[in-house]
Amino acid sequence: MLYIITGLIMGLVFGVALEKSRVFEPGVIIGQFQLRSWLLIKMFLTAIATTMVVVAVLHGLGFISLHPKAAIFPATVAGGLLFGIGMAITGACPGTVLAQIGAGYRDAWAVLAGAVMGAIVYGYLEPVVSSLSSGPGKITLVDVLPLPFWLLALIAATGIATALYLLERSHPWREDLGHDYDGVPSGSNLRQKRDGGVQLRESDGEDTQAR
Amino acid sequence: MLREKAWSPYLAGAIVGLLQIPALLIITSPIGASSSYVSVAGYLAGLFDPDIAAMDYFNKYMTDAKYLWQASMVAAIALGAFLSMRLSGTIRKSFSPAWTTAVGITRLPTRLVMGFCGGFLMLFGARWAGGCTSGHGLSGIGQLAVGSMVVTISFFTAGFLVSLLYKKL
Repeated sequence: MLYIITGLIMGLVFGVALEKSRVFEPGVIIGQFQLRSWLLIKMFLTAIATTMVVVAVLHGLGFISLHPKAAIFPATVAGGLLFGIGMAITGACPGTVLAQIGAGYRDAWAVLAGAVMGAIVYGYLEPVVSSLSSGPGKITLVDVLPLPFWLLALIAATGIATALYLLERSHPWREDLGHDYDGVPSGSNLRQKRDGGVQLRESDGEDTQAR
Repeated sequence: MLREKAWSPYLAGAIVGLLQIPALLIITSPIGASSSYVSVAGYLAGLFDPDIAAMDYFNKYMTDAKYLWQASMVAAIALGAFLSMRLSGTIRKSFSPAWTTAVGITRLPTRLVMGFCGGFLMLFGARWAGGCTSGHGLSGIGQLAVGSMVVTISFFTAGFLVSLLYKKL
């Protein structure tokens, strides 16, 4: 029960952070893949660097043990590629699709249904699929480099922070918010219809000038 | 602050990263999201196929509290995003105009079909890889796991290649 309540509170905070950062927007996710918008990578790398510091401290003090996931092939690469194709088609990931639903996007319900179906089919095929893969298993950089975890993690976090500082200087985050905070700079050439669809607006002098 | 329409990605990212503290200390597992789909999938499919709970893969995610908590977190993401949207007034309708710009979709049913197919590939791929943006990307790289770095590079590469087929937003 403690787990469930902790999960609910964490999800609530996670949902607010995703909505406010706008990275749940399909326009922001597709924009990142097209290397036009950088909001997603900024938020993602900040969360990774923060995780590194948190884990370095908690692990360094002996409060937690590490839970790295295994590296196995071809599952790690093939699954990752399929996942990326799915992300680009949905404009979502398994966490952000719920934020899209919460924010009101109706197509996110279809993504959710497809995702549950994907999990069902994978579950039935899992005994076959998982027998195809093998590999080095749960290795981390600690197994490869002669440094303790906390030091490696802090070095990596510092590297990420430096990269983000430089990225922000050349590309301020507010520039990527888009026309309606949806990551779509050209969002103004669309008009929402009452039935929920959208239609292309006649060429609109005002909007063209504004751009 | 909750009434603002957008926060800096650095603030939002730091908040998500700090969520690892309760996850690691209370639940003793880092953040992940895609396992929760297997829990839900197991219960839904169980309505039609009672034998499913006996399958090792589904059974693990349907009974172990180490996995079940994720379902409550993922569901609460929708509530958090809903509250945030209500407070700032950035309500979303139908589907993102990104789809009209990128692939010319103007009707919701077309987008629903596309979204369903994409959702299927997304979760199938995530389960095959053993995690998603959260479990591999965030928590895995955060623990310097080599496999998680390979997964993350793979999905960004695939996303980049698919997005080449789209018109520039």
